[in-house]
Amino acid sequence: MAIFGLWVINKAGGLVYERNFGDGLPRLTSNEYLVLAGTLHGIHAITSRLSPIGPSSGAQVIEGETFKMTILLTATGTKFVLLTSLAESTADVVLQKVYEVYADAVMKNPFHTPEMPIRSEGFDRRITALLG
Amino acid sequence: MTIYSLYIYDRHCTCVYYQDWHRTKLPKPAAEGGILPAVSHQVYPQPQQDTISTSDPISTYSSPRNTLSSSSGVVVAVNEEQRTTTPQPPQAQSGLSFDEEAKLVYGVVLSLRNMIKKLSGKDEQFVNYKTSTYKLHLYETLSGYKFVMLSDPNADSLRFVLRQIYSGPFLEYVVRNPLVKMDSKERGIDNEYFRTSTDRMIRGLSVFQ
Repeated sequence: MAIFGLWVINKAGGLVYERNFGDGLPRLTSNEYLVLAGTLHGIHAITSRLSPIGPSSGAQVIEGETFKMTILLTATGTKFVLLTSLAESTADVVLQKVYEVYADAVMKNPFHTPEMPIRSEGFDRRITALLG
Repeated sequence: MTIYSLYIYDRHCTCVYYQDWHRTKLPKPAAEGGILPAVSHQVYPQPQQDTISTSDPISTYSSPRNTLSSSSGVVVAVNEEQRTTTPQPPQAQSGLSFDEEAKLVYGVVLSLRNMIKKLSGKDEQFVNYKTSTYKLHLYETLSGYKFVMLSDPNADSLRFVLRQIYSGPFLEYVVRNPLVKMDSKERGIDNEYFRTSTDRMIRGLSVFQ
């Protein structure tokens, strides 16, 4: 049970927030994270078209051998991605809480420009309190 | 719980085999030249004379072999064996043709595989992903063959099944089959034995119902 990282991807596929927790996964350069987030955005769109039985959501959970990525797509197109260990069963709940924190500390912040990188101490602090 | 489809790709990124089970949204047949021969009979581009539509009975009456048809519009006898490719009951088709779909599946699998490798920092494999309606599983062999299976989203990991297909029917009826040209870039690997034994294996699974 461990949380390795959190990404927030805007509706255009740009990475607006990235945090690494613990040392479960190696730290990459910010450029690499930007590329991965863009790729994920594209994949997410394609996966919803590959459904064998009618309309489908995009990918919700992507699993590797030692970690998984849980994706929450909000109604406005913002994606929250949580990187956790495979055993983490509460990732969905955690993401909902992250979304709440985002609504409170980012969207209600009059100095925040929508779709731009999140630079807010308050958000950082509350994410640290939530995810450790 | 069920299983929807199986794709096999070789190391040249080409789809060499396709089979499906409980799919309600079938792909359109591939465009001419879009897929290799011997991938799947079902999605191979069909020659014009095979696509006799049931809504157009006139064309069957005009056949010179068809002497027993009455004027009432009921076919009394048809002097021809029912072809397997003749129209099945109309089913919802997805907007994609099979060759496009196969390319998208491969693209997704390859991108996710690279993403997982990059994120883990070691040679970790991508295993599966899940959406609200299906789950995609991947098994990659050392020779670069990729086995991709779509199943019910609630299924557990089906990697072992893909491994079984590889070590069972695939080795037996494809690798050890002198008539199958592997890696040819010209033909797929479809043959009757492989299809039948894969089908039997999948139908025997507890997740397949």
